[in-house]
Amino acid sequence: MATVKLTKVDKVYEGANGAQVRAVEAVDLSIAHGEFCVLVGPSGCGKSTTLRMIAGLEEISAGVLEIDGACVNDLPAKDRDIAFVFQNYALYPHLTVGENIAFGLETRRTHRSGLFAALTGAGGMRATESAEIAARVAEVSKTLGLDMLLHRYPRELSGGQRQRVAVGRAIARDPKVFLFDEPLSNLDARLRIETRTELRMLHRRLGATIVYVTHDQEEAMTLADRLVVMHKGKVQQNASAQECFDKPANRFVAGFIGTPPMNIVDGHVEGGEFLANGVRMPVGRLLAPRACALGVRPDRMRLVRPNSDHSIAATVAAVERLGDRTDIALDTAWGRLLARVNADDAAHVREADAVGVAFDSAHVHLFAPGECGARI
Amino acid sequence: MKRSPLANAILWFVLVMGTAAFVFPLWWMAVVSLETPDRAEAAVTGSAGIALFPPSPQPGNYLDAIRETGSTPWWGFADALANSIVVTVLVVIGTVLSSSLVGYAFARLRFRGSSPLFLVMLGTMMLPGQVTMIPLFLLFRQFGWIDSILPLVVPAFFGNAFFIFMYRQFIAQIPESLVEAARVDGLGHLAIWWKIMLPLCRPVTAICAVFTFIGTWNDFLAPLIYLHSDESATLAVALNGFKNQYGGLEDVHLLMALSVLTMIPCIILFIAAQKTFVEGLARGAVKG
Repeated sequence: MATVKLTKVDKVYEGANGAQVRAVEAVDLSIAHGEFCVLVGPSGCGKSTTLRMIAGLEEISAGVLEIDGACVNDLPAKDRDIAFVFQNYALYPHLTVGENIAFGLETRRTHRSGLFAALTGAGGMRATESAEIAARVAEVSKTLGLDMLLHRYPRELSGGQRQRVAVGRAIARDPKVFLFDEPLSNLDARLRIETRTELRMLHRRLGATIVYVTHDQEEAMTLADRLVVMHKGKVQQNASAQECFDKPANRFVAGFIGTPPMNIVDGHVEGGEFLANGVRMPVGRLLAPRACALGVRPDRMRLVRPNSDHSIAATVAAVERLGDRTDIALDTAWGRLLARVNADDAAHVREADAVGVAFDSAHVHLFAPGECGARI
Repeated sequence: MKRSPLANAILWFVLVMGTAAFVFPLWWMAVVSLETPDRAEAAVTGSAGIALFPPSPQPGNYLDAIRETGSTPWWGFADALANSIVVTVLVVIGTVLSSSLVGYAFARLRFRGSSPLFLVMLGTMMLPGQVTMIPLFLLFRQFGWIDSILPLVVPAFFGNAFFIFMYRQFIAQIPESLVEAARVDGLGHLAIWWKIMLPLCRPVTAICAVFTFIGTWNDFLAPLIYLHSDESATLAVALNGFKNQYGGLEDVHLLMALSVLTMIPCIILFIAAQKTFVEGLARGAVKG
């Protein structure tokens, strides 16, 4: 267990024709002992690069990275005492499951006894050490339900089993920090949800510090003690999953966190109302006139009779029935809006119906204009 | 697709004729090796036509050939065999180790000038061996290595351009994350090469080892240039001893018998390793 602290960390790549590409910009992040921290964002947002810098697989261009209070900027990956679970698992194809799990342990033991031993893997290890390693492998494989597979090769395993081996290889070493780079993205949907739960339970049992990267916001929400939303190399919000959902720090976070995504409309406020394309809706507070964007989550939208007070006239564009709830796409003066309502309330709604759509001003989010406009 | 019987027959005919054309010289070598000295000489000079089977096979030719090799009966053959084995084994080990190490470096290490260096290395393949033959001989003589196996063995430990190229191509398609996983597990580049890359490169290693073995085992020119004494000669050079300096053909049946014997290890090796490298060609990519 350990803390991880990033202070103003940058990653600059030398792009083609000498141009500099800033993949990660001034990232500040402090992860406590035993915390499950999830970096989430669309692809290319710098989350994997940040993780790889923590691992020591990428150099840090500027800033300070501390593990357990000590600066590790210049420490090679092997000396940082971290474990990394790769998206494609990166199991050694020529070693059995047992050998894969033991591999890191063996190289660490033989390390002390010089180049020859490290090279050949021969000698340098006492019988007691081999016995310890065997015991550790047995323990880990039992925890993960791999004990029947120890003599199989990775190519003989299913995707889910390979994933477990990758996790097993990480746990076996008992590292200070676990780093996961989209470990579930190669699994099918059902297995992904099962494994997600297992990872959560594993985290509780080990009490380990985990930094986890994913582009799947639902996965991020369910796993995270702390959610770090990234976009264009910058941290957009760093808070609990619930807070990111309830009080998104800016427009990007609002649109990214939550399924289906929040309805966001550009317009301006005047007095206590939001105005866009000639349609006004109350926002529940008095604000100086200014341009801004209004956001409402689809499940906060209500269908009402056409022409009711404080409603927007809408035409039903599409109806998607999901059993207990129904997603309704609506064409309005504010553009296409999505409402998620109870299946019972939408039982009679048909495509091309004229309806009204309304929302409570308590559920309105306001943001400054621009892609990452701050919350007002 | 189903072929008509006629198309099948034509195909078979072409294949059988092709095979016969390639197998015939070997078959004829075996035939001559079993002939009596007179008939063998006649066969080689062309005065007796071509026989497909020896009328009275002389298996004793093989024992005679072994006894007559080199200057001391029996031991001459043992010497030449031992020399061939030592040279070939060392050259195979040297080529596999050095080529895979350099291939790994070209595939995985980013260093200044790596691309131009790679091109220069490939460029050396264009250079015919004859061009460097005399300078190399002078160099090795300067070292005092003449009449030792060093000139044959040491260059193998400096890589072979073609096999370096093969290793590089193969290693380049092994996922980068394997190397990164190994780095996190505490391995340096040498250890990654030895413990991860070499085992994964088995198909390439099989091709490299078999081709190098056959090339070295059968090499005549280099041992002829560098190995002068009888005791240091390899089998390929010892074979030449059956031809006297006037090109006499009286021992041609023994020459053929020893040639057949010399070929055997290559054939066995090729058959044994075939599975590995066909598997390597078929598998194509390494999956994690």
